[in-house]
Amino acid sequence: MPKSVMVTLALAVAALIGAEVTLWLAYHYAPVQITAGSLFVSQPSMGVPTNNLYESYRIFFIHLPAAYSTALCCGLGLVGGVMFLLTRQDKWDALTVSAAEIGLVAGAITLLTGSFWADYAWGTGKVGSGWNWEPRLTTMLILWLAFAAMLAMRSSIPALALRQKLTAVYGILVAPLYPLVQKAIEIGQTSHPRSFSDMLSAPEIATTKHMASICILLVFVAAVALRFTWNRAQTQLAAERAA
Amino acid sequence: MKPSALRAFATLLRREVLVEVRTRSLLASMGLFALLEVVVVGLGLRALPADETLTRAVPAVLWVCILFAAVVGINRSALSDRDKNLHAAFLILPFDPAIVYVTRLCASFFFLCIVEAVMIAAAVPLLRLEIPREPWLLAVLALTNLSVLSAGVLLASATAQAKASEALLVILLLPVVTVVFLGATGATDAFASGLGFEAARAHVLLLCVCGAMFPGLGILLYGKLHEG
Repeated sequence: MPKSVMVTLALAVAALIGAEVTLWLAYHYAPVQITAGSLFVSQPSMGVPTNNLYESYRIFFIHLPAAYSTALCCGLGLVGGVMFLLTRQDKWDALTVSAAEIGLVAGAITLLTGSFWADYAWGTGKVGSGWNWEPRLTTMLILWLAFAAMLAMRSSIPALALRQKLTAVYGILVAPLYPLVQKAIEIGQTSHPRSFSDMLSAPEIATTKHMASICILLVFVAAVALRFTWNRAQTQLAAERAA
Repeated sequence: MKPSALRAFATLLRREVLVEVRTRSLLASMGLFALLEVVVVGLGLRALPADETLTRAVPAVLWVCILFAAVVGINRSALSDRDKNLHAAFLILPFDPAIVYVTRLCASFFFLCIVEAVMIAAAVPLLRLEIPREPWLLAVLALTNLSVLSAGVLLASATAQAKASEALLVILLLPVVTVVFLGATGATDAFASGLGFEAARAHVLLLCVCGAMFPGLGILLYGKLHEG
């Protein structure tokens, strides 16, 4: 078995164990948080003002790592795009596509978990009531749409060379969107928490947050590695068939 | 002999303007599309009372019209080049391909400004648009045009060679330039509400970042996108 496949499988196994550890920590180690006041950082403009997070904060153990993974996918897309334009090697194209595919999944998880919490935190509790078009939410949705656009583009360009070049260029164009997502909370009024470190500062919660960040990030890294191996194999197969 | 970059730019820009003056195809299609958008939107908004809601909604709606008019213009220009095989011809000229990109960007900017002037003039009576007396709005307009067109010209030069290029350009361009749209609508809303520059500062800053980033990336990537 090739070394790269062995590494990918080892990553996948480590990721599965990490996900289990995260779930256990999130539900058995981290306490129910009932402290009021400073933990709630937004100014609720709709619905019943809520002063504490209770069980709802546990969603951050998925939401935060998924957001970090989206950032990682943006970075990998940028690296893949730049390296492809410089070297024209198929593996860099495969990296950009794999990053976009997993970025789409990570972005969807970030948006969904964020929306669920927002419905509770500053919405009325009804599904969708937390979506208020504030800059952080909107820019994240834009980023997710950009990943989807890249994949849609790939399926509509049959010419391999043009498809690879346009993918690389688009990967580079999409990458700066993530810093904008990060900075978006400084644009206009925002309901999104400015810092999760203050909210999740209790020792058990902070430990769980750090572990969850590492373990869930590992899940997405393993997913990128799996898709990368698959996409490279497909490109090689297509090249062999063409020859 | 290799011409200087400035001379090459001036020659190509002159060609773009001359072609448009003779054919008027780009301005006609963009302008007519923009006017149709204003009329359709005016029909949609006709029942609304002329209160603050309308005053604040109309500039945002107008930005959507401008965005789509720009996409129509970029696409038409790129498809016209493809049909005449001009793109490949430009790239074998003895100068940096980035000059072709900058020329196309400047020409598109100029034509879009003309279309915007017509569109805003039509929006005053048809959409009951109140133009805020704020000089910063010109900067917002310029930065938005520059950002949208720089990403659009870059992507259109590649998508024009693909099947279903019209739809493909829209799909690729809109997610990238929606960030610009966020800055443009936010800044315009702050100015239209009479809150002044302080309230619009973050949005103007976002537009400045986009206005520097997208043309910079376009200049860097255009040659790479089209080399063999």
